[in-house]
Amino acid sequence: MSSSSCDVVVEMRNIVKKFPGVVANDNVSLKICRGEVLAILGENGAGKTTLMNILYGLYLPDEGSIYINGKRVIHASPKDAIKNGVGMVHQHFTLVDDLTVAENIVLGAEDFKVYYNPGKLIEKIREFMKDIGLYVEPSKKAYELSAGEKQKVEILKALYRRISVLILDEPTSVLSPIEVNELFKTIRRLKEKGISIVFISHKLDEVLEIADRIVVMRAGKIVGELARKDANVRLLASMMIGASGLSSIEEKFEKNTSTGRKLLEVIDLWVKGDRGEDAVKGVRLSVREGEIVGVAGVAGSGQKELAEAIYGLRPVKRGRIMFNEVEITGLPTVERIKLGISYIPEERVRYGVSLELPIYENIYLEKIHSEKSKRGLLEALGVSPLKKRVMLEYAQHVVNKFGVKTPSLTTVAGKLSGGNIQRLIVGRELERGPKLVIASEPTAGLDIAATNFVRRTLVDMSRRGVGVLLISSDLQEVLSLSHKVVVLCNGEVMGVVIPGEASIEDIGLMMTCSKKMSIEEVEKIWAM
Amino acid sequence: MLDGRLKEYLTGFAEVVVAIVAGMLIGGLVMVIGGYNPVDAYYQLFVPSLTTGYGLEMTLSFATPIILTALTFAVGVRAGLFNIGAEGQMYMGALGAVIFGAITLPSILYLPLEFIVAAVLGMIWGVIAGILKAYRGVNEVVSTIMLNWIAYWIVESMRVYVIPNPVDASKTVSVPPAGRLPLLVEGTELSAAIIISILVLIFTYFLLWKTAIGYEIRAVGYNPLASRYAGINVRRVALYSFIIGGFTAGIAGFCEVAGRPPSYAITTGLSNLMGLGFDGLTVSLIGYNHPIGILLASIFIGAMKAGSRNMQIYARVPLEMVQTVQGLIIIALSIPGLLRIISRRIGGVR
Repeated sequence: MSSSSCDVVVEMRNIVKKFPGVVANDNVSLKICRGEVLAILGENGAGKTTLMNILYGLYLPDEGSIYINGKRVIHASPKDAIKNGVGMVHQHFTLVDDLTVAENIVLGAEDFKVYYNPGKLIEKIREFMKDIGLYVEPSKKAYELSAGEKQKVEILKALYRRISVLILDEPTSVLSPIEVNELFKTIRRLKEKGISIVFISHKLDEVLEIADRIVVMRAGKIVGELARKDANVRLLASMMIGASGLSSIEEKFEKNTSTGRKLLEVIDLWVKGDRGEDAVKGVRLSVREGEIVGVAGVAGSGQKELAEAIYGLRPVKRGRIMFNEVEITGLPTVERIKLGISYIPEERVRYGVSLELPIYENIYLEKIHSEKSKRGLLEALGVSPLKKRVMLEYAQHVVNKFGVKTPSLTTVAGKLSGGNIQRLIVGRELERGPKLVIASEPTAGLDIAATNFVRRTLVDMSRRGVGVLLISSDLQEVLSLSHKVVVLCNGEVMGVVIPGEASIEDIGLMMTCSKKMSIEEVEKIWAM
Repeated sequence: MLDGRLKEYLTGFAEVVVAIVAGMLIGGLVMVIGGYNPVDAYYQLFVPSLTTGYGLEMTLSFATPIILTALTFAVGVRAGLFNIGAEGQMYMGALGAVIFGAITLPSILYLPLEFIVAAVLGMIWGVIAGILKAYRGVNEVVSTIMLNWIAYWIVESMRVYVIPNPVDASKTVSVPPAGRLPLLVEGTELSAAIIISILVLIFTYFLLWKTAIGYEIRAVGYNPLASRYAGINVRRVALYSFIIGGFTAGIAGFCEVAGRPPSYAITTGLSNLMGLGFDGLTVSLIGYNHPIGILLASIFIGAMKAGSRNMQIYARVPLEMVQTVQGLIIIALSIPGLLRIISRRIGGVR
């Protein structure tokens, strides 16, 4: 299918959008046909999301115009966009946790009333869901839902407003593989109903599986457009990252072969989750110098609580954490930082940076601890003067070494793209000379170049004798980088495997709590 | 990126100008309806207090304590806290200074001791809310409002029972001449307190932007989660913010007692202190919680206070109308700042 011969629903003409220091969209023109799945493919910061945010009325374009069904429109707010039949589901969910699914769906819609009968509403929404063929129990509260269900509700929310174009921004980044399949089924069903889907992604395999037509963006411009039948991984990848980046696709990493003595040892660890439940149940694991130990599991199996406990952010209910043969179970985070533990947290914008602080202050956030010696009175009180020049120099060094693209060091972090924020965090955590790195979802939402960069950096660190605890829901990533992989399910260790020696099927069974290795087997692998 | 920051400052400035104009238009409308001449009234409100020597001196003397109580609120906001306890902390500071009216000391010791005791009492009053917040999770808005009233009644009962003025029952003992800050201009109320006030302002600026603890305060204010993940002790930051705030508010109390003629005491019902803490809140909001903004905003509010007498006498606008008009201007000015804080509190991390 080519865009010239289709029923055009939306046309964006010569869109230009500039932000301080970057041109996010540089004269971009795009057509969306009725009932097609259009993938917009590009690296982080290529301008995909900006373009769709313009269509959805979140940004006004600096230049250019939007036509819907041939009529020129101005989308000054999402309200205008929805009125014209354009809906969007963002990467981050916008549901109200304490409301039911049904209430979430009607909230803010035209026919929403302040007084309503909850029972009737739920029945009405149930009917609506059956009509659409997409079902999430409408009486459930939003906080009870899994990521996949939440996304369905977001989609239903958009459909309830009778939209004809649905934009999905990186919809698979928060989903497990099974949920991704569910999402694809949903997309196909919507397509049959004549709804156009815009699928923003940087994952080649997903785009090839679901899209009818693929538009590739790079550095704010459209660099290619092709039908699925003409596309393949190599071609798309070369368009996406430019010819120069070709060699780095699917980079293979050689694992470090010499590991040293035990660095981190976690013994019978029990940790409570946010709702008071046991999130980590009797976990035992160890990381040696120069070793990468992976933690695999379905999202929400206790990975986050485990990492937070090791870093001192969450109290330990039972068990011990040893670092270099010294117990650190009760130490505050700052002491663990001084001992040489680094943490690359998941959800980088939430836990990793202060969006309003400038780059250089974000980079120095932890380095500041290593300067406090408690010797001087001023330092003990915390009122020692900042050495801005030193901070700037250090930040410049990190920015250069880790390739953070920014207009200047005093730019606030909120102006950076997701990939560059991650580079900043990785740089901050690795440059302060850690002995142990805890990396949580370090490549989530990153493009190929940035992903390879992060992985290569971690492997390099392990070669220099640094221990790495790699927590990731990307099973392929865990298996290809780690020496040993701990499989978690429901907060319990189901088994420990050496990549290449266990079958994917076995690992899958363990991830879903369907198989558990015996203690002897696990001990044997730890002893290796 | 200087031009980006400049643009930010300019939009901030434009916001303030639009707010002033809007407030004055609504106030003007009210005056027209009431049958008064708004042009004349506004002229008398602002021009003499900003252009004549005497007016300017009055303006600055009114600005003195507000600068300090504004800093209390600003340091709180920077740490992500809504500390509205400047009022009570200032009462305690004033108490700390005025008790020296009942103590005989070598002359040279009065001022330093008044300063120190005022600062310490202010800090203690601040840190109580800080401890409640950091260790028990008590909402600082609730605790500081309650502490304000506790301080009010402590000071009021001290005035009546412990340190009443022997010749005038409507106030406390006055601090002796040796314990008063020198007047900068004879015949006005402008004393060296304004210098102390500006020094404290510079000190706070330095603390927030040039020291490690200030860096931590700002980081926690913007993103407490990321700060905790970066090993910052969030409790300690909350305590510090309340202590610094209590310090500046305590000094405000000291300035009012030791630096404002004619009483050099605390008057009945704390009438010479009341409201200065909340004026500071307004000033901080108008001044973007930034020391430089606070300085400008406090001069503006000081000018309105100084000009209200002129507005009554020369433009013949009754006091109630003057207060209504001033209230409208202040509300208009506070709206942008309030909206920013509310949206940050509701929106959390973007």
